[in-house]
Amino acid sequence: MRVRWIAPWLAVGLTVAGVAFGVVLNDLAGSHGEDSWTAVAWAAAALASSGVGLVLATRRAGNPIGWLLLANGLVLTVHYVATPYADYAVLAEPDALPGGEWAVLIHERAWPTLFICVAAIALVFPDGRLPSPRWRRVAILATVSFAGLTVVSLLAAERYSEKFDHVSSPLPELSEAVVGLPFVLFGLGALASLVAAALALRVRMKRASLVERLQLRWLGYAAMLVPAAVVTSVVEGAVTGGDGAATVIATTLALTLIPIAIGVAVMRYRLYDIDRLINRTLVYVLLTAGLAAVFAAVSLSLGVAIGSGSTLATAAGTLAVALVFGPLRSRAQVLVDRRFDRARYEGLRRIGRFLEDLRSGRAAPEAIGQVMAEATGDPSLELFFWLPAEQLHVDASGRAVNQLPDTDRARTPVNRGQLHLATVVHDPRLAERPDLLDSVIEGAGLAIEIGRLRVEVRRRLAEVEESRARIVTAGYEERRRLERDIHDGAQQRLVSIGLALRHVQARLPEGSPEAAELDTTVTVVSEAIEELRELARGVRPAGLDDGLAPALRQLASRASLPTRVDATDDRFDDGLETAAYFVASEALANAAKHARATRVDLTAARRDGWLVVSVSDDGVGGARPSEGSGLAGMTDRVAALGGRLDVESPPGAGTTVTAELPCAS
Amino acid sequence: MRVVIAEDQVLLREGLARLFEDAGHDVVAAVADADRLRGAVSEHEPDLAVIDIRMPPTFTDEGIRAARWIRDAHADVGVLLLSQHVESAGAVELIAQGRFGYLLKDRVLDVAEFLDAAERVAKGGSALDPKVVASLVGGEADGLGVLTDREREVLALMAEGLTNNGIARRLVLTERTVEGHVRNVLMKLDLPESDDAHRRVLAVIAYLRAAEAH
Repeated sequence: MRVRWIAPWLAVGLTVAGVAFGVVLNDLAGSHGEDSWTAVAWAAAALASSGVGLVLATRRAGNPIGWLLLANGLVLTVHYVATPYADYAVLAEPDALPGGEWAVLIHERAWPTLFICVAAIALVFPDGRLPSPRWRRVAILATVSFAGLTVVSLLAAERYSEKFDHVSSPLPELSEAVVGLPFVLFGLGALASLVAAALALRVRMKRASLVERLQLRWLGYAAMLVPAAVVTSVVEGAVTGGDGAATVIATTLALTLIPIAIGVAVMRYRLYDIDRLINRTLVYVLLTAGLAAVFAAVSLSLGVAIGSGSTLATAAGTLAVALVFGPLRSRAQVLVDRRFDRARYEGLRRIGRFLEDLRSGRAAPEAIGQVMAEATGDPSLELFFWLPAEQLHVDASGRAVNQLPDTDRARTPVNRGQLHLATVVHDPRLAERPDLLDSVIEGAGLAIEIGRLRVEVRRRLAEVEESRARIVTAGYEERRRLERDIHDGAQQRLVSIGLALRHVQARLPEGSPEAAELDTTVTVVSEAIEELRELARGVRPAGLDDGLAPALRQLASRASLPTRVDATDDRFDDGLETAAYFVASEALANAAKHARATRVDLTAARRDGWLVVSVSDDGVGGARPSEGSGLAGMTDRVAALGGRLDVESPPGAGTTVTAELPCAS
Repeated sequence: MRVVIAEDQVLLREGLARLFEDAGHDVVAAVADADRLRGAVSEHEPDLAVIDIRMPPTFTDEGIRAARWIRDAHADVGVLLLSQHVESAGAVELIAQGRFGYLLKDRVLDVAEFLDAAERVAKGGSALDPKVVASLVGGEADGLGVLTDREREVLALMAEGLTNNGIARRLVLTERTVEGHVRNVLMKLDLPESDDAHRRVLAVIAYLRAAEAH
């Protein structure tokens, strides 16, 4: 545990001390010292590598990349110090410091060590493991090759550079004949390992998950700076004839940023949106180039026309730049998106097309979930609308979803202001590309909101319809209870009373006034029973217990008009049968009262999942539903059960009342 | 006449029992539900079972099912169903087998006619409530248009199960006049002539039901 803390700090301490020592030595070496920009670049690279290595080694001790960076920092430091050391101890002040010939040796012949850590990092980046066990051979080859190459390079009797030509190596020197072949072999091996290390990055890129791809992109972004630095150096060299400030800055930046990018890639790849960074960089580079071109073109051509140095030309150029800024920016963005971020570009285009369809009425907003699945390229993506009033999620069809899918799924909420609109359930890997998901959600926001409102309204409506049907059905149920109460309660009691009276009467002498009085009383009781029976039938005909057909036949048998019944013997829900019965009863009553009809046809049939009740008379017609107030009430009841009532009554051609009620067939 | 009564309401059950006893009949059992009714009928083999249609536990058609059971298990026992209202087509079907009556409960207040009907059933005849008959004769049963009003009246009383003599008394006519009407009715409706009141009822009911179902 302790070593883990002490070792990184020690390595960093050594690096810092070495760099400081190197700066001092270079200063002491005076005219023999190196160019300052080379020193700055070396120092920056060593410090950056070491610093990032410290962070990684302490925070991600399990990942060897941190240790490799620390080692790299040390290697760079040794090389960095060796040069001014040799300059000072051999050239400026000979024998002021011991071991000058070793410094020269390192400066001249230890160069293979510079590549060891870099190759190792490339092999295990970013997770600290080789791409696959098979890569172990590559690792062994690299180790052997670089170790061999270092040894051979140190021992080879190759001439030092001009500056140190007079210094002799402290090690035994072997002739070309001895080291020639091993040098070539180890050299080839080392080259092969470097190529393999580059290949390892490619292999990883190919089969990488989104996270890894993102990590690799960080490295790639930083690595882009190396050729940029080279180009800068070449350009500056061509212009000024030597390396200047631009080269120093570019090189230092590149060498510093690569270890930093590695650190970010390993530790904080989620923290910064590399795609957006790259994207914006490219957009603004393009934009700047475009604007510069416009400005140059306008002011130059105007300058030629009306004389150079004219403020008018400059002003016109500026105006042109201001005019084309907006369009050029969006063009550049589209161009970059299309070229470098195909997924996001296509996704947003898909959303855009959908919104177009939505506006023109070719698409329903509820389909937005499907469109988002297409736009993000995650076919398993599902969108669930959140209904705050009911505190639950529903799918596009309005079905309640109590448990959002959660096995191997990630959730991303969709909010608009403070309002939680919906939840996107998607492949967790999509969360690794937050820019794509976010921009798709942002683009789809309005459609999601509309879809949610529509689903909510539809649910509310369905609820209201259901509750209306429940109320009507409950009303019928209440009628049934009332009818039972009348029959089994009051009516039975009256019969009992009548029987008791008859019993008393039986004991009285026949023909007595009391007996006659009891007779009258029993008659009154009988009438009361009959009245109750009529009352109960008005509440709900008991015949309905046997089914619609018997009830309709009883209804017809009491009708004042000759009525012919043709009714199916099928049974339906009690509510439906009751509603159908009352429609028939109401229509019959109307026919008797208003139609001046001579006969009525009453039919009830099941047709394609509908119970159809129809009452037609041969009367004068011309009836309007509003006039038959009873029918108006029936219209509502029938509608409440999801059906419809239709009155057809042309003047002089009779009246037909038809009720259609949905019945599960 | 030995009678078993099945009626779930205490007051009514006792009232019915007293009514039969006052008339000199023997009420051998008065029970409150269909299961005990079956027990009582098996035990006493009465001449007549007076049964309320709605009884515990569901208060729907317990009485009708008990009546069918009695028809099957004890064919000699007359069955008189009582109901609060005209209901259950099922009850009417039982009439085809004779020894059966179906009356509304308040008919019991017309003691003489009720007892008359009860005795008729016990002896193997039929008794159908006028309201039940009305529901059959009413509407537009095909063919009844050929009858005169008086003949319709006679047809209804025939359907109720009355004999010619009973019809004559009810309509205050001579028996000969009634016989004439009956003959006309049967002839016009093309029904077989028969002096047996029960078979006549069957024919009339069958005709009416066929006409209704048409």
